Amino acid sequence: MNHAGVTAYAAVNATTRALYSKLLTAETRQLLIQARNLDALVTTLTTTAYAPYLTLDRQALTPRRVVYQLRWHLAQGYDKLIRMTPEPGCALLIQMWRLYEVDNLKATLRGIATGASWNEVLHLLSPMARHITLTLDDMQRMLASGAIPRAIERIRHTPYYETLHHALERYEAEQNLFPLEVALDLDYRRAIWQAIHNLKGVDHEHALRLVGSLIDSDNLLWAARYRIYHRLSTQEIINYTLPFGYQVRDEDIRAIATSAEGDFNAIIKVVRRLYPDLEVVDDVTPQRRLAALERALNRRIARLCRKAFLGDPFHVGVPAAYLILLEYELRDLTAIVEANASGLSVETLAAAIDI
Amino acid sequence: MFKPQAMDKVELLIPEQEVVRVTEALAASGVFHHVPTRQINLAVPADHTGEWHTWAADFVALERRILIVMEELHIDEGAPPTQTPHIIEPRVAERDIERLEHEAETPVRELEAAQRRLVQLQKYVSQLEPIAGLDVDLGALRDLRYTFVLLGSMPAANIERLESSLEYIPFVLVTLRREYHLATVMLFGLQQDAAILNRAARSAYLNPLNPPEDYRGTPAQAIAALRAGIERTREHIIEHQTTIAHLHEACVRHLRHLLWRVRASCALAHTIAGYERVRRAYLVTGWVPTASYTALEQTIAKVSDKVAIEILKPRPEDAGRIPAALRNPPLVRAFEGLVTTYGQPGYGELDPSPVLALTFPLVFGLMFGDVGHGLLLLLVGLLLASRKITALRSMSNAGIVVALCGVAAMFFGALYGSLFGFEDVFPALWFRPLEEITDILLFAVGVGAALLSLGMIANSINAALARRWGRFVFNRNGLMGLIFYWSLLGMAARAFGVTLPLSSNVLTLAAFISGVGITFATFFERLIDHRRPLFEDGVGLYMALALVELFETLIGLLSNTLSYVRMGAFAVAHGALSMVVFIIAGIVGKQSSLGYWIVVVLGNLFVIGFEGMIVSIQTLRLEYYELFGKFFSGGGVAFQPLTLIPSHKMSTD
Repeated sequence: MNHAGVTAYAAVNATTRALYSKLLTAETRQLLIQARNLDALVTTLTTTAYAPYLTLDRQALTPRRVVYQLRWHLAQGYDKLIRMTPEPGCALLIQMWRLYEVDNLKATLRGIATGASWNEVLHLLSPMARHITLTLDDMQRMLASGAIPRAIERIRHTPYYETLHHALERYEAEQNLFPLEVALDLDYRRAIWQAIHNLKGVDHEHALRLVGSLIDSDNLLWAARYRIYHRLSTQEIINYTLPFGYQVRDEDIRAIATSAEGDFNAIIKVVRRLYPDLEVVDDVTPQRRLAALERALNRRIARLCRKAFLGDPFHVGVPAAYLILLEYELRDLTAIVEANASGLSVETLAAAIDI
Repeated sequence: MFKPQAMDKVELLIPEQEVVRVTEALAASGVFHHVPTRQINLAVPADHTGEWHTWAADFVALERRILIVMEELHIDEGAPPTQTPHIIEPRVAERDIERLEHEAETPVRELEAAQRRLVQLQKYVSQLEPIAGLDVDLGALRDLRYTFVLLGSMPAANIERLESSLEYIPFVLVTLRREYHLATVMLFGLQQDAAILNRAARSAYLNPLNPPEDYRGTPAQAIAALRAGIERTREHIIEHQTTIAHLHEACVRHLRHLLWRVRASCALAHTIAGYERVRRAYLVTGWVPTASYTALEQTIAKVSDKVAIEILKPRPEDAGRIPAALRNPPLVRAFEGLVTTYGQPGYGELDPSPVLALTFPLVFGLMFGDVGHGLLLLLVGLLLASRKITALRSMSNAGIVVALCGVAAMFFGALYGSLFGFEDVFPALWFRPLEEITDILLFAVGVGAALLSLGMIANSINAALARRWGRFVFNRNGLMGLIFYWSLLGMAARAFGVTLPLSSNVLTLAAFISGVGITFATFFERLIDHRRPLFEDGVGLYMALALVELFETLIGLLSNTLSYVRMGAFAVAHGALSMVVFIIAGIVGKQSSLGYWIVVVLGNLFVIGFEGMIVSIQTLRLEYYELFGKFFSGGGVAFQPLTLIPSHKMSTD
């Protein structure tokens, strides 16, 4: 690591470590899982780093609103670290942040397709204030248009327009959001892959390991889902997945794509070859096995993220790792809040959360 | 002018049926600053949700719908109305909006469809052009018995993946053209693999070229037909645009009125939703300038005789929450923006705007003394202040500041004998900074000392207004601080041989006594204000800190005073920069040449723009850090009268 890198990343590293120390402890997670009701859960959260986002009137804090408020913590984390991280690492973090923009866009499209009101959609979105190309106003205008083609015309100024506009022909023919969502997902991964390859040296190495592993995980799970749930043809699976990744190669995707319909063992075989130490549950239904596989992959990435905090600290891997861990924490919190609201048992919930 | 207006805290009890009219009257009065009332504990719980919250949310949605119709008809929001429109019920507004949406829908949708059709036809032409020379019917290509042919466009990024997905199937993929991220391709294969090829092509987002019946035949025939179709579609677009333009004319006034009415209604619903509900009435608390109370009372009485209004005695917890309504003449008001950028004046303290209005142009002019440059600034400032340029109307206050700075620059320019950098057009009424550098630097220090003293006097007045007598006397920026500062200045003046009416002994004694006062300021302040303990962290630590405090005060006064030397330095730099302009002009050509005058004009513009900006920043810095820091804390609450015409868009979040 040269001196410039040390100077540039010193403050980012210190800030990220301070933020990292504020991730929820195992004890707090237990308290949250065992909370009697939503009020008790929120009370526990007010003793954590999420406290500033939960100052609303308790009556206004519905489960959905709690999750929305908690996600502000992620928005603040991204904003802070993007501002502090020097180029070109900063561009990678911005691209990682765009994932939430893509998710918001998909949620808005679903809202249009189901005829939802803005108030129903708003708190399903990830709050995003800065470093965005798609504003809340854009999404509100999309929803108000009432039709997918008109909604897409209203975001001509965003980088998503060309992709959606081309995929629109399929939407109009099939009246299904699937082609639009897949087009957005593939386009986003291509962009973030490019952002990884714009980095050099130790930045590139860490970004490839962490973000590349995320792409691997998405790619494997997509292939598996298309095979198990959607029963797509080999050609379709290949076209709906990515030819690149950190460890996952085209032949791995091809092996899943050419496996017999519903043959989960072919998927497990690929996963075991890629990650021999991964714990994959064998004795349940394919659907539950897929969920278990997703959790196992997430836990593996979380371990990689924690490893990024060891050794040379002056690279983009440190803030990226923290942000990935924070996202996993939020996914767990979302599961905890939803389970709490639906009265799911503590045991079931504990087994279902990611980290 | 020097203090914010006196305020009264008022409480209104408004019957439920009068709440709309009274709130509208409160907003129209322009003098009522609403503060949310604290929860009161009565037998019936206060209702915070209810109809008004629902209405507020409804109005937000309605505003969005109106804005969409306006956008479709190319209508802007227009200026806010001068009079607040009356509330409209959401269902009434909705009926109106539905009608307008219905009227706009047909032409707008037809225009959109025509525009989409135009894009589609242009795309067909673009896709067919690479195979224009092919003398084969396109329909025949689709119906081949043994060969599968698919012409279409797809994202260029997907080509490789499509080829990869067809690895075990015989096929040929020909890229005919690449434009941006899209490629026009032809996929060939065996008809027996058509199902696989179709699924693969579809999943790679290969959109097949499928022009309507009218545009078929050979590629050349299709292109010709498509071009004719494009012309027809363009004509249709013009027709639809004309219809929309007529609709624009017909609806513009109504839509703007409806928009502002819905916005005002939304603001009203939000305001009422924030009131405390007490059984069948609303309890509303706020602040009113004392001078406007009677007028407000009369306004309310005109609207309803059932409203109870009374003046409340401010409670201890109100301290620091009373809004400060500044009251300044227009010339001074222009400087309020610069004050609030630093901080909002508090209710109980001096309003620094008059001080700033006096000292800002003075400091600027001293550094930027030139009659010509000042005159240009004056003209630019007057132009901005006149609000004649629509796009710059919001800068009218800045225009006044610039104009006053221009006047000050002209005044000092006359003293320095400088006109657009020419130093020989008229004699200096005082002296030329470039020739008398020591004099201008000493003068700048003198002005600095006067400004710092002004800051200390203002701080003493603030302390007296707050009845903080300990701070008034012993604070480092209070009375003792002032005596200490002037004693030191006197001693320094005598050391340089200046004759003063006070002897050295008197000055030394004054400096000593005031120095002791400042050193033990915290002790004396606590003693006078009856606060205990007198030494918070023990006598030993206090003594050590007190001595450091005195040293810091001494260094602070010295550095603050010397900070003003920059005013003299910039006055010299202004002359020097002008001189450089003339030297460069001399190099370019003789005084009679055009080149000489071009350099002089451009050089002067550069001096005005570049140096003017630097001098402005330095002036602001001196005002904020050297002067305001002495007396202005800036933690007050701005007086914001209730209004139903929002200055920004509504938001649901």
